[in-house]
Amino acid sequence: MRRYFPKSLTGQIALLVGIALFVAQAINFGLLLNERRGARFAQVIAPAVTRIVDAADQMNNQRLRDEDDRREARRPMQRVTVSPTNPIDPALPRATRVEQDIRAGLADANMQFGQVVAVIREVDFNQPFFKNMNPARAERIRRMGAELNVAVELPGKGWLMLRAGWPRSERTLIWQLLAQTLILYAVVLLPVLWAGRRIARPLRNLALATQRFHPGGNADPVEERGPADVRAVIAAYNALSLRVNAMLDEKDRMLGAIGHDLRTPLMALRVRIESVEDDEDRNRMADTIQEMSSTLDDILSLARLGRPSEPLTEVDVSALVDAVVEDFRDLDKDVTFEEAPRLTMRLRPSLMRRAVRNLIENAVKYGGGAEVFLKNEGERVAIQVCDRGPGIPEGKLDQVFDPFTRLEESRNRDTGGVGLGLALARAIVREAGGEITLANREGGGLAAKITLPR
Amino acid sequence: MSEMPHLLLVDDERSIREPLAQYLTKQGFRVTQAGDAEGARARMAAYAIDLVVLDIMMPGEDGLSLCRHIRETSDTPVILLTARSEETDRIVGLEMGADDYVVKPFSPRELSARIKVILRRSSSGGTRQTAPDSGSFAFAGWVLKTGERALVDRDGVSVPLSTGEYNLLHALVTRPRAVLTRDQLLDLTQGREAAAFDRAIDNQVSRLRKKIETDPKNPALIKTVWGGGYTLAAEVTRL
Repeated sequence: MRRYFPKSLTGQIALLVGIALFVAQAINFGLLLNERRGARFAQVIAPAVTRIVDAADQMNNQRLRDEDDRREARRPMQRVTVSPTNPIDPALPRATRVEQDIRAGLADANMQFGQVVAVIREVDFNQPFFKNMNPARAERIRRMGAELNVAVELPGKGWLMLRAGWPRSERTLIWQLLAQTLILYAVVLLPVLWAGRRIARPLRNLALATQRFHPGGNADPVEERGPADVRAVIAAYNALSLRVNAMLDEKDRMLGAIGHDLRTPLMALRVRIESVEDDEDRNRMADTIQEMSSTLDDILSLARLGRPSEPLTEVDVSALVDAVVEDFRDLDKDVTFEEAPRLTMRLRPSLMRRAVRNLIENAVKYGGGAEVFLKNEGERVAIQVCDRGPGIPEGKLDQVFDPFTRLEESRNRDTGGVGLGLALARAIVREAGGEITLANREGGGLAAKITLPR
Repeated sequence: MSEMPHLLLVDDERSIREPLAQYLTKQGFRVTQAGDAEGARARMAAYAIDLVVLDIMMPGEDGLSLCRHIRETSDTPVILLTARSEETDRIVGLEMGADDYVVKPFSPRELSARIKVILRRSSSGGTRQTAPDSGSFAFAGWVLKTGERALVDRDGVSVPLSTGEYNLLHALVTRPRAVLTRDQLLDLTQGREAAAFDRAIDNQVSRLRKKIETDPKNPALIKTVWGGGYTLAAEVTRL
């Protein structure tokens, strides 16, 4: 049921208006039917009752039979006949409401009566009296469509039977109403649909713009269209996106200033330690300064990743992974990569290099080496970095992505870094629309997997 | 260069400039300092400067603009001082004709070594082009971009190179058709990031061939010269 319920604004309004119109029309229809019934009572049932009461009176006075012939010629549809038993075929469906009305009418006239049977049936034009009837009159009866047969039992005297024309008005009424409803629908629903679209379209554009909102991606403001309320929402969104971008600009400026202000004293320190006589001391200081500086770089890159400055380029990913691996091998690290066929993708090469490098660096640091695989999975490309290190406890697999998280129990300060490597790698990969997952390998070790959409 | 080479050190940060000048003086250079671009211009007009060490990030007129000015008016070599995050500035700087760069926090020893290399080159070479190491080189359908350190094929697809591969290719591309022995190549490629390059040249050459040759088993670009050495057998165009 829920599946068929329209989800769009226009659809829901249209459905609501449609249902409301339908209900209103149904009530109208009911009222109209009721009124028709009243009219019919006045037009058909009341005269019929009068005639029956008349006939019963005349029967009591024994006058009925004399007048019969003349009356029959004049009013063939309203003649009253007498028979000893119920003259109406009991197989015909009985019109109980009409019977009720007749009973009520007879009771009002203080008449003694037994059973009342009423049926409404198609007019049988083969009956003899139609043949010698005035054609205009026959046509009128034909248009009424049906005849009412009423049989009333007079206790002890037999049955009185009366036939009268019965207006079959319900059918035309239904057609009228249908036509009316359709016209109403056209007149009301079309403007509703139009108004709905006028609201829905700018809203949809707004939703699209919000989805596509990319910080710093100086997108054009959304056009202010539609009714005033919707315009206000769009204007508010445009102002908001400007504010967000202004805030990000401010953040970038601040980070630039922080970076500069921290790097300068570090550099000054780096120059000054050259006067340290002891080689070992000086080298250690230089390493510490180098480490602080690269941490600073990581923090700044992570903070700036929302608005990368490197453009998207067509890159051979296979060569990219190979180049990173080769850099590790140049440092005599045990990193292997089975050469893969050329595979071009659109990405930011030096950022992606960094993500891959960070994963391999972890593998080398904690696992002593890495096996790297590149797999083309059709829709996606997977870069897998596997090691045979201690792995990560299952419960902490997600945690290690958080900046500044390190699994202290197995790792000491000598391993360096503050735990930004994975956070940075994940941020880079996510920016490219992909994902990084970590899993412990069978037989020990960790497998880190970068999945990128093609 | 009979006497001490004269360096101009341009950096707005006194805390870096002064100790660095002190260090370089100890290394046997004559050092003149400037705190901004304007001061640098004045000193370049006043002295015969052999090499400029230039900080990119300076308030007022920045290092890039000054670098362009120096390149337009003289042949004086320029070494840029950059931060890692200023990668794009660095690329622009190299394209503008800077000779080399060091990334902060750099080792003063390394800077001193680079200065010596460039001075040696500019004094011995004589016919020094504006920037021997920088710009882009086109050969046999490939383009080697020194700024981004990227190799781009004829379809515009970037083929990343490892540091070792890049250095080797750079050495070959800047000396096309010259026969370079393994020792020469080792020397040339170890100029930068010495630690990163430690393996046999032959190995690097075969890796590089796999990337750029149509048929690596039958190389047409990087040819082995009988008697030990390699040469790049292609026309190289500077872009």
